[in-house]
Amino acid sequence: MSTTPRLEVRGVSKTYGAVTALDRVALDVRPGEVHALLGHNGAGKSTMVKVLAGVVRPDAGTVLVDGEEVAPRNPRQARAAGIALVDQELSLVGSLTVEENLALGAPRGSVPDAARLRDVLDRLGLAHVGLRAPVARLTLGEQQLVEIARALSRDARVLILDEPTATLSDAEIAMVFTAVRGMAAEGRSVIYVSHRLGEVLELCQRATVFRDGRAVGTRDVAELDRDSIVEMMLGHVPAGTERPARADDGAAPALRVTGLSVPPRLAGLDLEVRPGEIVGLAGQIGCGASEVLRALAGLEPEAEGRVEVAGRTLRPGRPLRSAAGGVRYTTADRKSDGLFLGHSIARNIVATRLPGCGTAGVLRPAAERRQLAALLELTGIPAARRRLPVGSLSGGNQQKVLVARSLQLEPCHLLLLDEPTRGVDVGGRADIHALVRRAADAGAAVVFASTELDEVLELSDTVVTMFGGRVVARHPRAGLSAARVLADTTHGAPGAAPTPREAVTVA
Amino acid sequence: MSVEAPTRPSPARRTARRTHTSRWSGLAALAPFGFAALMLVALFVVPAIAGREPTVFSVYNALQSFSGMALVALALGLTMIIGEFDLSVVGTYALGGMLAVELGVEQPVLGVVAAVVACAVLGAAQGWVVARWGVNSMAITLGGYLVALGLTGTIGDNRSQAYENYDVSGALNTPIAQVLSLRSLVALAVVALVVAVVMLTWVGRDLRATGGGRRASRVTGVRVDALVIGTFTVSAVLAALGGALQSYGVATATSNPGLSPLIFAVTASLLGGVALSGGRGTPLGIAAGALGLCFFAELFTTLVTPQYVVSLLTGGLLVAVTLLTTPTASRGWAALRRRTGARSRGGAEA
Amino acid sequence: MSVQTPAPATAGTRPESDPEGRGASRRRRPGPAQVATALFLLLLLAGSLTTEGFYSLSNMTAIANAAAVVGIIAVGATAIVLGGHLFSLSIGTTVAVCAMFFLHVLRFGMVPALALTLLFGAALLGVQGWLVGRFGANPIIVTIGAGALQEGAATWISGGTSVYPPPDAPDFSWLASPLLGVPFPVYVFVVVTVVGEVVLRRTVFGRQLILMGESPQAARSAALPTSRLTVTAFVCAGLTAAVAGVLLGAFNQSGTLTTTGTLTYDSIAAILVGGAAVTGGRGSVLRTAVGALVLAALADMLLLRGYSTPVQLLALGVIVVAVILLNHLTSHDKETR
Repeated sequence: MSTTPRLEVRGVSKTYGAVTALDRVALDVRPGEVHALLGHNGAGKSTMVKVLAGVVRPDAGTVLVDGEEVAPRNPRQARAAGIALVDQELSLVGSLTVEENLALGAPRGSVPDAARLRDVLDRLGLAHVGLRAPVARLTLGEQQLVEIARALSRDARVLILDEPTATLSDAEIAMVFTAVRGMAAEGRSVIYVSHRLGEVLELCQRATVFRDGRAVGTRDVAELDRDSIVEMMLGHVPAGTERPARADDGAAPALRVTGLSVPPRLAGLDLEVRPGEIVGLAGQIGCGASEVLRALAGLEPEAEGRVEVAGRTLRPGRPLRSAAGGVRYTTADRKSDGLFLGHSIARNIVATRLPGCGTAGVLRPAAERRQLAALLELTGIPAARRRLPVGSLSGGNQQKVLVARSLQLEPCHLLLLDEPTRGVDVGGRADIHALVRRAADAGAAVVFASTELDEVLELSDTVVTMFGGRVVARHPRAGLSAARVLADTTHGAPGAAPTPREAVTVA
Repeated sequence: MSVEAPTRPSPARRTARRTHTSRWSGLAALAPFGFAALMLVALFVVPAIAGREPTVFSVYNALQSFSGMALVALALGLTMIIGEFDLSVVGTYALGGMLAVELGVEQPVLGVVAAVVACAVLGAAQGWVVARWGVNSMAITLGGYLVALGLTGTIGDNRSQAYENYDVSGALNTPIAQVLSLRSLVALAVVALVVAVVMLTWVGRDLRATGGGRRASRVTGVRVDALVIGTFTVSAVLAALGGALQSYGVATATSNPGLSPLIFAVTASLLGGVALSGGRGTPLGIAAGALGLCFFAELFTTLVTPQYVVSLLTGGLLVAVTLLTTPTASRGWAALRRRTGARSRGGAEA
Repeated sequence: MSVQTPAPATAGTRPESDPEGRGASRRRRPGPAQVATALFLLLLLAGSLTTEGFYSLSNMTAIANAAAVVGIIAVGATAIVLGGHLFSLSIGTTVAVCAMFFLHVLRFGMVPALALTLLFGAALLGVQGWLVGRFGANPIIVTIGAGALQEGAATWISGGTSVYPPPDAPDFSWLASPLLGVPFPVYVFVVVTVVGEVVLRRTVFGRQLILMGESPQAARSAALPTSRLTVTAFVCAGLTAAVAGVLLGAFNQSGTLTTTGTLTYDSIAAILVGGAAVTGGRGSVLRTAVGALVLAALADMLLLRGYSTPVQLLALGVIVVAVILLNHLTSHDKETR
């Protein structure tokens, strides 16, 4: 094509310490094009997006918009250059109204008037949302659309959507698609970052695939299908391992939940888990699975419903009672509420079992050492490293420390894991799955939540699919297809047949 | 589970919820003004019940103390809106008063300007540290408080200093229209200016955004650092102005006012609808909270209540208001609201 | 599991193997904190050498005595800071109230008076800790409010006058008199510091407290007893405030609210100079004690050179600011924002 690309990236590199996040990346986006950025976690597409949006400054390389070099040093400059980012992590302020949020960060004097904002909202299907409604009161999907509305109201030439549909319902996704096509028709360019290959195939004209910090190729989407994309992303098609299905031994349930609700994010969940059974809660972000685990761990003070663990009733909002009742919880976010990042591996790994290492509140060093040695061996972390700050470990090893904290504690009736392998490499993932299985084999009931399809299918005995705060269906692992789980977790209606385009996601 | 199972609230239910909550938040926004009005009424009714003669003079008195205190409350409240906390307002309050008294004998305005400039530098420095380095503001402003207090004591020779220019003091205190004075008018003008700038321009929105979601604000391009530095500077300026006004008014500058101005400022801000977690509140609300609190204090002066009772009441009020605005309490409120909301909805649907 | 090798990770995320242990690499080269500390100590040394009468025995005793009361308070209050609950801004008031209480209850005998005063101090701070820990109330504001309440109540009950020991009180002068040439409070200071250090390092409470200070959210999700830890930390501060109150009351032989002076800020400064992180999770009782000694020496030096109390306050403020900034800039593990 002879025309100047709307956006051109030349030789952009970025390293964090010794990690190369971007390695001489080049790509171009045409006017009126919807361009996909693909790649699995850590491939570099998020960093690329951040560079374009001015959040991260590259070490080398140039970014051109309509042939003019722009070097966005902050989000404000990026926007001045016509680049708008709709981030995965929403940048809305809950205590402000919709109107205030739409005006936030707009250049002085160029705040669109209320009528225009109303029009933008209406076009996105938000006609029922008032401009003066506080954003905190909107659903996640509505918030996502407000975020897109903000970018639309700014007349961006290049709009970057980072996983815009992760929390949306079908109807809302359709609205986003309409909006994106409308923008492209007006001559704007859209960069579309998504794990959902079906969406990419349906919506985008070209796709650039990232792997290990490099852009490995840009192709016309018409030439691609799911298999070829997956191959470009991974270099191979991953083969999952399956756990042999457990026979129903008729044991009394270790966990019995009736009518568990965490308003407004989770409604009316019933669940029974036998000792030794591994139940996977499958669903997209915001489906309510995290809330189930947090509520069971006593971390949701607003939870309602009846929870019985090993025959004892637990009251919601009492983490200590839950722990005393044999409930062990592992958070999804090890950085913010999992690990004590400034402290050593040793301190972290024994954090949950200090009372067991002491007599009348005084620590016995020998007991502590014994516990520590056992857990280090379990995780495979060399004992010589035990005094290093836990933050210096790789993601996989950090996660192992976190999981190990919940293991080998008496009593352990219920093991709860939220995203047990988020940000963990393949080897670490297998190790963690092995740890979880051992805990189950030792008699614990295991409930985990995961947004990763492979993990759900690999680890569970029973899969419970969730959507929009409710259970869609409960499937035994045997004979369960990925397509079924996906259909459940992206549509919510158990009867709907999966369409082929959604049969593959890569997380 | 049926195929038709609703996966999200139907539009009707959502609308119901929304109108319900907006009614609540509308009421909450009016609370500070209700409090001020209630206290004003109490200022006349309670003494009458207690057998004392209620006078308009007590309103004048309350407004006189409002002149200094409201500015300190505003100083602290603004930093609370952006999710920070400026302990040093008591220090700059004292320092501003002392500098104005020491330098403004011949030229009262010059004294105020000098006080304001000196405190602005201190405030800007604190703001810079908080914005750029992300140092906990309560900690760093504690240091700023000690510095300001030390400076005040050093300048004032560790005792109260009299302000020799009695003409100025007299002029400031002469009653205007029975309840007002030049002193309270100046304070009201400053309050009005802050209210206008914050509430009628983008400033208020960006301040609340900075307090409500620092990361989100930064990402959207709000000049968070500039706002934080600016707010701390304005905070110091307001506190210094309040101190200068107070010192001129009572013709004395104290070396150490203790923590009572701070207690007043926190209570007024919390009563005025500012959340400690940031992101909520307006200067008008803070001013209303301060006004109500001044009436409240004046009520006990009218009743000739011993100082310790006032101390107990202000301390108790502060702890009570703090507890009512904790995360635990607001969760309780939300649950209560939901329950009453559910009941009324259920009734409507039945 | 022993056959398992550690999971392969990208080379960059792994640190160099460091068998020496945590922080060894950090200590190898003096950082800005070390340089600043060295400079500060040199300054202190130079100042003390040029101050006439600083190195006399009587002055050393005076310093130790002054450091003792502040140090005792600071050691207990370190628990509050470590647990991530900032400071108590009314601990000085509590000390004064405890002194008044002690002198009043001396009529019941020495041992009951001591026990009651400790209980009283623990209860005063324990309630504040409960409000902070159970309801998530802001510690600074709760302690300010509690300070006003204590002042009000103390004035109310005492009628606004000083409290004197009853005429038939047991002899308590030994609490303030020197033992083997060293003031009695210094011994108490040493004992409190050692006990505090042991509690912090060698008990379940101390360990859990430091973890909670590092990350309250993580502590909650790890099912640590956060409310109980907070209350216990405040109770620790209350106990040492009571001890300080007893010593102060015995020394002054009377108790009023005005005797506290700048005890609150002195104790906070001692904790900060001792290197505790403002936001919790890092710090040591031993270093707090050293901080108290350093500050006492500094105050003494300023006094000997003829500077007034406000100048000492100013110096205190400057030091607090400097220490907070240094501490913040040299710790890369924590994000406070």
